[in-house]
Order: sequence, then C-alpha cells, then structure tokens
Amino acid sequence: MSATEDAGDHGHGGHLPAVEDFPRGFGEASWWPFVTAIGGSGIYVGAALFLLAARGGFGIGMGTAAAVSIGSIGLFVFGILGWLYHGFVASFWQRHKSEQSESKLVWGMYAFLGSEIATFSAGFIYFFFIQAGGLGEIPDVFGSLVIFNTLLLIASSFVLHFSEVALRNGNRKRFVTLLGATLLMGIIFIGGQVYEYYEFLAVKNFTPAAIAGGEVIYSNPFASAFYALTGLHGLHVTLGAVLLGIVFVRGLRGQYSAERHVSVKTAALYWHFVDVVWIFLVAAIYIGATAL
Amino acid sequence: MGLSGELALTLLTGVLVLIVFALATRFDDWRTYTPLAGGGALGGETGYGHDEKPGGIVRWLTTVDHKDIGILYGVYAIVAFAWGGLAVMLMRFELATPAMDVLASVGGRAFYNQLLTSHGITMLFLFGTPILAAFSNYFIPLLIGADDMAFPRINAIAFWLLPPGAILIWAGFFLAPFFDGIAASMTSWTMYPPQAVAQTAAGQDAMSYEYAGRVIASSEIDTAALNAGTDLMLLGLHLTGVSATMGAINFIATIFTERGSDVGWDKLDIFSWTILTQSALILFSFPLLGSAIVMLLLDRNFATGFFAVEGGGTILYQHLFWFFGHPEVYILVLPPMGIISYVLPRFSGRKLFGFKFVVYSTLAIGVLSFGVWAHHMFASGIDPRLRAGFMAVSLAIAIPSAVKTFNWITTMWNGNIRLTTPMLFCIGFIANFIIGGVTGVFLAAVPVDLILHDTYYVVGHFHYVIMGAIAFAVFAGVYYWFPIVSGRMYQRTLGKAHFWTTMVGTNLTFFAMILLGYGGMPRRYATYNGVTAEGIIGYFTNLHVIATVGAFILLVGQIIWLVNMVQSWLEGPVVGPDPWNLKEDGLPSREFDWHADRIETTLADGGEPAEDEPMTDGGEPVDADDDAAGDE
Repeated sequence: MSATEDAGDHGHGGHLPAVEDFPRGFGEASWWPFVTAIGGSGIYVGAALFLLAARGGFGIGMGTAAAVSIGSIGLFVFGILGWLYHGFVASFWQRHKSEQSESKLVWGMYAFLGSEIATFSAGFIYFFFIQAGGLGEIPDVFGSLVIFNTLLLIASSFVLHFSEVALRNGNRKRFVTLLGATLLMGIIFIGGQVYEYYEFLAVKNFTPAAIAGGEVIYSNPFASAFYALTGLHGLHVTLGAVLLGIVFVRGLRGQYSAERHVSVKTAALYWHFVDVVWIFLVAAIYIGATAL
Repeated sequence: MGLSGELALTLLTGVLVLIVFALATRFDDWRTYTPLAGGGALGGETGYGHDEKPGGIVRWLTTVDHKDIGILYGVYAIVAFAWGGLAVMLMRFELATPAMDVLASVGGRAFYNQLLTSHGITMLFLFGTPILAAFSNYFIPLLIGADDMAFPRINAIAFWLLPPGAILIWAGFFLAPFFDGIAASMTSWTMYPPQAVAQTAAGQDAMSYEYAGRVIASSEIDTAALNAGTDLMLLGLHLTGVSATMGAINFIATIFTERGSDVGWDKLDIFSWTILTQSALILFSFPLLGSAIVMLLLDRNFATGFFAVEGGGTILYQHLFWFFGHPEVYILVLPPMGIISYVLPRFSGRKLFGFKFVVYSTLAIGVLSFGVWAHHMFASGIDPRLRAGFMAVSLAIAIPSAVKTFNWITTMWNGNIRLTTPMLFCIGFIANFIIGGVTGVFLAAVPVDLILHDTYYVVGHFHYVIMGAIAFAVFAGVYYWFPIVSGRMYQRTLGKAHFWTTMVGTNLTFFAMILLGYGGMPRRYATYNGVTAEGIIGYFTNLHVIATVGAFILLVGQIIWLVNMVQSWLEGPVVGPDPWNLKEDGLPSREFDWHADRIETTLADGGEPAEDEPMTDGGEPVDADDDAAGDE
C-alpha cells in the first residue's frame, strides 16, 4: 500500500520537500516562503502607504512609503532567490532526475500561463468594449518602432527555441550563446518600449488623463487601454527577461544538460507566451485601433 | 464616526473572545498540553514531527508540510468567520427594529454599510476560499497518495500572503478611530463604480458638491476626500487573489502529476475532482478580478477612466466583476459538494450512487459557470437578447446541480444510515441546498428576477447556499476528519447540539429573508422606518425579528462548536485507527488508511506518553455514535 510507504518515507527523509534548505537539518521547514510572503505583502503595504501619503492627513510621508516599498521589494527578491537557490540550484546535480518533478514544473507553468490569460483578458475586454462604442480621435500609434519591436520579439522566440534545441543536442556553447542573444533581444525590446513611452508621454502628450488645476479631464479612454495593456505586457517581458537571465547565469555556471533542462523549458514557455500576447496586442491595439 | 463607537465594538469583540476562552478553560487546565512547544502536539504528530520540523512557533512560521499549512488555513478561516459573523450580528440587531438605534452611536448607517461590506468580503474571500483550502491542503495529498503538494514552498507563500491581506482589508476599521480621512469601505462586496470610485470616508459622493442647498453632480473627483479605506481593501483583495491563484496552480500541478502510481484518473476520489475543477475556475476568474481591481485603483488614484462614463462605464465593471463573481460561487460550492459526495456514502453504508455522473456534473458546472454571469445584471438595462441567452444557460446549470442532489438522495436510499454529526450536516446540506437551489432557479428567470432583484429574496437565496449548504459541508468535513487532524474524538453531544442550533438558526434566518423579499424589502438597508404602507411595516418588523432570533441561535451554535473543537482537541479521547468503522462497511478510504499507518508507525517508534492505549480507546466512542441511528 502506498500510504504505508508514504508514512515510512517520512521517517527516512526520502521524499521530504525541503531537505536542502534554511534552516538546515529539517526536512519540512523553510524560512524562504515566509520571507518571500512578507516581502510580497510589504509591497502591497508600501503601495497602501503611498496612497495614504498622497491623500495626506495620516502623518505618513512619501519617504516612508518609498522606504517600505523598496525594503519589501528587497526582502521579496531575497526570499525568491533563497528559495530558488535551495529548491533548485544548490543540489542541482545531486538530485535525482525524475519525470514527475519535471512534469509538475511544466504543468505549474501551464497553469500559471492560464491565469495570465485571465489577467490580460480584462484589459482586452476593456479595449473591445470601448472600441464597440467608437474610439474617437486617436493618435497614430502604429509606426516603424512597433514593426521593429514585433519582428525582434518574434525572432527572439525562434532564437530561444534553437537555443533549447542546441542544449538537447548537447551543444552547450551554442545553447548559452543563443540564450544570451535572446536575452539581449528582450532587453532591446524593453528599451524600445521605454523609448515609445517617452515619445508618447513627453513629446506627443498622449496621456490617459490630465489633471489641470485640480480638475480631472478624461482625455482619452483609448489611452487607458493602450497604457494598461502595453504596460502590463512590458512588466511581463521584464519578468521574462529576469527568468531568462537566471537561466542564463545558471547555464554559464555549468548547469543544465541534454537530459536536465526543465527550467530552460519553463522559462522558454513563458517567453513564447509573452511573445504571443504581443502579437495579439499589436493586432488589436496598434493596428486594430488605427486601421479599422 | 465616533471614537467611542469603535472602542465599544472592539470591547464587544474582546468580551466575546473572553467568554469563549473562559468556557474553554473551565473544562480543565489546558496549559498542561502546551500546544506550541516541543514539536507541537497541535498537529498531532509528535511521533516523528520533531525530526523534520523545528519546535515552537518557528515550526508554524517555517513549515512547508501540507498538513501544517492546512491547519494554518483552518485557523485563519475560523478567525475570519468570527469577524464576519460578529459583523453580521451587529447588523441583525440593528435590523430588529425599523429605526436606527443599536448602531446609532457608533456611526449609524455609514457604519452599517461598513459592516455589510466587511461581512461580505470577509465571508467570501477570507473565510470561504481559505477554509476550503484548509481541507484540500491537508487531504488532497493523502487522498491521491502524494508525498506533499507539488510545490510545498509556494503552498506556504500562498498561505502567508493571507494574513497581511486580511489586515489590509480590515484596515479601515483599525485606522478610523485615529484619522478622520479614513473609514472602513462602504462599497458592499460588489464594489460597483461609480460609488466604489468616488466614495468619501463619511459615505458621501466625492463627485458631487453642494451649491445653494442643491447637490450638483460633477465629473470631477475630489481625490483628497476619497475614503482611503477602500484603497486598502482593494489592495488586500488583490493580495488574497494572488494567494488563491497560487494555491490553484499548486493544486492543478499536484493532482495532475503527483498522484500515486495506483491512483489513475479512474481512481481519483470525488473530493479531488471537485478541487481540480475549483482550481481551474480560480485560475481563470481570480486574475480577472485582480485586473479589474487594479483598474478601480487606477481610476480612484490616477484619474484613468476605465469605469468612467467616458470609458467602459459601470456596465463594463459589472461584466468583469461577475465574470469573476459567478464562477466564484462555484469555487465556493464545488468543494463542499465534493465533501458531501465523499462523506455521505461513508455513513450510508453504500458507495456513492452514480459516481461518474457526479464527476461529469462537476465538470459541467465548471464549464457552464463561465456562461451565466450576466444573470446578475438582468436589471441593469443590458440588451434583452443577451438576457435571454444568459437566462437559458442559468436555468441549464440547475440540471447538473440537480443530478448531484438526486445522486446523494439515492445514495442514502436503502442505505445503512448512521446519524453521526458529519452525516447530520450532510443531510442538512441537501435540505438547505434544495431550498437555496430552487429559489435560485426562480431568480434565473428574467421576469421573476426583475421583481425580486435587490430584495431580501436574493439575500435569502444565496445565504441558503452559502450558510445552509457550504458552511454545513465545511462542518461535515470538520467533524468527519477531526479524528485525523487532532488524533482525538469530538464531543458528540455538543456536535449534535451544534447541528440542531445551526439547522434551526439557518432556516429561521434565511426563510424569513425569502418572505421579506416577497414583501419587497430591499437589501442593504440599515433602516426601514420610512416604509409607510399600511400593514407592511409590521410584516417587515416581525420577519426581521425572526431573522435576528435565528441569527442569534446561529451565534450560540457556533460558540458551542468552537468550545467543542478547542476542548476536544486538547483532551478528547484518543481515537484508534478506524474511528468511523469504515472497514466494516467495506468503504475504506486512503486518508484513514494513512491515519492508521501513522498510529502504527508512532507505536513502532516508541510511541508517545499521551497515547498510552490508542488501540483500545479508539473504536469505543465511535461505536457509541451508532446509537443515534438505533432504528436502522
């Protein structure tokens, strides 16, 4: 009976989830989740303090809010890195390769991407909702920069794919090079987006709302959709670049092999997903809004 | 908002906690059990616990064991249940009379609205979802033969996001006594704009101003006057949504990949099926709510116009909210249905009738639940053709629910029924769910809904489901699995008293509400002394008094439950390997097999002083439980 084995295994530490961890020596204890959660919650508390400071009258300054936010982000990142290190990195070669642990990571990523569809869909629904009622006069958002960025992102997905293929074929050098190239392309894409934001916000004065003399003017509902969706996507590309960056560093340090590359696969899945979302976004927002 | 009022409320809460505490301690000196020291007797696994976990409070902060995290979820949910319950008790006392009296000194109608909002949000997000996560965390890995969850650390992170989430959600109550510009949110749990975008701390509209004695609507928002309590609540809600999504991802990965080699899809138990479906619903609905909440926050603080008239308008918000909100109903009800489908057969002496069809109906509900959301918006003026479509799907979703109900009844038919406390709650579930379900079918019909919309009929309907069904299933699960989690047996007399008070209280309270709705009493009102129609004020008052009496009976019942749980956990009789005599009926289950193994392993390891004679003590009290069904 497997239940017996289950109970028995606990006695020998065969299947304990956190053998390699902080505090060391226990099998089912880890400080990282708690640290990460406190850091993550602290970001929300920081946002709350920021809003309270903006309202005034609570004796909270922007400095406090900023300090709490930055501290929390630091704690959050520290927790995530500690968890990554003990959970995946530290004993990479000692752990037994198991099909089960690989498929759970892949399934976890698929499920996460499912939730991402829902996150993005709210923004798309807003856009289609206002589009049905007529967008009114909108600036020309579609241009050569968008075409360049789109081609770059699509190309990066292909490069990443060939990087994975190289790893599976045992060509580590090619794997690391192509992964680095993907990362670089991602960073250039983000740079392009930042430049576009600068252009729109500072030069063309294309903003969702203007506050003039205490009066709020909803200048452009389309701008809300534009910045919400491109901003959300930009955050996702950034997160994707961070994930690829972690994989890249681990690759440089000699981890991964033709048989062991599940985190390359999950990070790549995420990158491809972000790429597909961008294509939808270009079709809907950039082309759909101006051409249709 | 008086400071004294806030203090009075805090005092009242404190007194109630003290009463419960005093009642619990009267039974014995419970300090001898030192639940948090030395590896923790609280989890009931001292036998090997200290090998893998540090001792004391550190164990609970660092644990990645799904069983410990399940217990943490449970304790958290009970605290939230108490908060939401006490909030609604104050509301019920206020409603016992037509005029504003009980809450008059505490802030009047504004305070009533704060309680209303907090009650809804707390019960749905901080009690409902976490208490189900308590069951699924503890039992899913045991039921599917897994060592732990797929991602034990993510599991722990998901839990630890919840307490800060609750603090943010409740923060308005905590800060209101100290600052003028903040109060608990008064948006009700649906948070509809423009109210949710432009409400001040005094409950006024920040988008209008008074000029020469007249209120003038304006497109400007006086952002400095907005109630910061709503912002904090929205942030807290987003945080709990992130937590729920992480949990859902974890359960999907666990059930897909961590099943034991002998647990194929055909052998998967019914509770795991419902949790899998629930997780899929969470996956596609909670993130959408998260995005809608962020849009609300941006509208409030950065002058975007997502839900302004110039943008998507309030109808867009309602679409987004209910696209989350209706699946949320099934997120809350599917796992309880799974618990009923799992527990009921064990005390009927029969296997679940039509297991496959119960699974199919679960999946059908999961799919259909995304196609019914606009039935919450029938009265909002949306296109009638759209309404007809949503009416059809909403009526259709009653079919899989009815399939389940008939399967439960036929499982009991000719069965060897043992009326233990969990079984009583299962039967109570079915009875209440039938009333809650049938009233829902009426609401799904557009013409009926247009009459009953926003009346107490709706409140009665969904409370029959949420309190009468979901909470009943939760209690059934708590009693059924109490021997595994605590290693002890609860007091059966108190358990039965809890059931009967809860059953009577639920039906008194919520049936009165259905009648109130037929009479036309609108929901969300703190007073009804403005009603002038002859005779109707007396009708309203009488029914409100009945509902308040029912609510008080419910409160008494839940205090009995809490006392029973605490006292039995500390000093109830230690149970044996098969406390429910499941083997006798040929209905063994994996989690009780695991429980029996644990007792064996503990004994082999040298045992523990507290469990001198677990084998002889075990079967007895449970056998006695059968006496209740003496006529079988």
